[in-house]
Amino acid sequence: MDALILLFSFLILMFVGIPVAYAMGLATLITALWIDMPLEAVMLKISDGMDDFALLTIPFFVLAGAIMSEGGVARRLVDLAKVFVGFIRGGLALVNVLASTLFGCLSGSSVADTASIGSVMIPQMVKNGYDKVFATNVTICGSLQAILVPPSHNSVIYSIATGGTVSIAALFMAGVFPGLLFGACIVGLVLYTARKRNFPASEVVPLRQALKIALDAVWGLITIVIILGGILSGVFTAIESGAIACVYALFCTMVIYKEYKWRDLPKLLHRVTKTVAMVMMVIGFAAGFGYLMAIMQLPAKATELFLHVTTNKYLMLMLINVLLLLLGTFMDMAPMILICTPIMLPVVKAMGVDPVHFGMIMLLNLGIGLITPPVGPTLFVGCAIGKVTMEEVSRELWPFYAAMCIALLIITYVPAISLWLPRSLGY
Amino acid sequence: MEGLYIACIVLAAVAMVVITVIIPYGVFMRYAANSAASWPEPAGVLMMIVFSFIGGAAAYRANAHIAVGTVLNMVNAANRRRLEFAGDVGMGIVGVFMVKWGVLLVQAVWQNSIAEFPWLSVGVTYLPIPAAGVITLLFCVERLWLGQPPADSFTFRDQPQTE
Repeated sequence: MDALILLFSFLILMFVGIPVAYAMGLATLITALWIDMPLEAVMLKISDGMDDFALLTIPFFVLAGAIMSEGGVARRLVDLAKVFVGFIRGGLALVNVLASTLFGCLSGSSVADTASIGSVMIPQMVKNGYDKVFATNVTICGSLQAILVPPSHNSVIYSIATGGTVSIAALFMAGVFPGLLFGACIVGLVLYTARKRNFPASEVVPLRQALKIALDAVWGLITIVIILGGILSGVFTAIESGAIACVYALFCTMVIYKEYKWRDLPKLLHRVTKTVAMVMMVIGFAAGFGYLMAIMQLPAKATELFLHVTTNKYLMLMLINVLLLLLGTFMDMAPMILICTPIMLPVVKAMGVDPVHFGMIMLLNLGIGLITPPVGPTLFVGCAIGKVTMEEVSRELWPFYAAMCIALLIITYVPAISLWLPRSLGY
Repeated sequence: MEGLYIACIVLAAVAMVVITVIIPYGVFMRYAANSAASWPEPAGVLMMIVFSFIGGAAAYRANAHIAVGTVLNMVNAANRRRLEFAGDVGMGIVGVFMVKWGVLLVQAVWQNSIAEFPWLSVGVTYLPIPAAGVITLLFCVERLWLGQPPADSFTFRDQPQTE
């Protein structure tokens, strides 16, 4: 009964339109009063939820990604991608996917990726005879690589949701191959569509010009070296690498590229502050919500329930995939990760699934929800940039869903894709 | 309320900038000056609490929080207004909760000091909670009384200029 009050009050408050973070807070408050729990303890849990030093990773990577996306880095990465794949049939669509891979390694956010790469690529693709809806679909699907590859913000949130038992560095490393596999599935679909619809190929970029483009783009790509190199070599922690990435992003866009102006910084800080504060409030209130779930032994009960349905690991993973895909369509990623991880992680751990591997499964499932109505932030941003309606995009998304589901199934049932790199590096 | 919103955003943004400076400073001290500083980490956490709670209250006025609008979009205008009213009242209740129990939390730990900053009370760490509660309540009253901030409000002036 207590658990039902917690869950149903949360759902009702959320559907009334109360922001998810505050709906969790209010549901926690109602349930704490119901079970006669001192509210000081709830308040302490909420503030403790935001007291974690590891959380600093989130504002740093969001800020670095925002500076990079407005400072001309995205355009240079697109030019670099053109050198590598522009000459193939359907080249611009491939450029879009490859540029998303590269930019995802800087921004760690699919929304930022869609906004940056989409605003450069969609108009170019349309100008070169691509369908507007197809260009938007390639952009939003390609951008989902950012939720897997380092420095994915959602990996940080998953690490926090596991209570810090899974390291951020291990998750960053685990995301590399699933991210690339996901990109490869989208590339496969693009190549097939390009042949079927006879999309054009661009000209080969001459070597001298290619070198110039590569040299120009390399300054932005150094951020990846700072983040990954710093963490892998043990010189920086993930948090420190994020802070240094911010400083470098400012240096790169203001001093080297000279495309970012000091006068633009207040607006950017205004936007980033709102975004980050929103995520942090979700994390804080989710800590209180999770505390009550733990007191009511909800994770243990959920494990019992799931194991009652099946004890077959593969069937269980399939069930969890379906459940996460459905849940992901209704809510944004951060709250879903924070709510689902404490419930589902014990279930999959009981079946021998590695928490790092499960992290990748969860991120991809919920990531697909980002481009699925009714709640799809990446879809909304893509539609706004592509100047197409959500209905038009959704109608033609099916082949992309198929490609993404193939990637999801491979990542789910071949754990080595997620685990080989972190294990090889000793995480 | 416009002034309060600007103050919140400025405070939160300054806190974020300060963290972005002090964490690399800690790395610099560790490697370049060979003398690890212990204060950047607790100072970073303190700043993070400031920008999370104060920025979170500001994000409420800007409608920037993640919310599920599925039901709101399905009902007619009159019911939508009723639901929105109920939602704002709910936000007000959370605000009251943050003020009352935030103050109790601050009082409970006021005599303790932070190890790295002996001159600073632990209570300061929790002060942003009741402060954010008061601000959320004020924005809540504004919304119930006057409705959403106007479209030309500073609240919505954060998008980059498009070419």
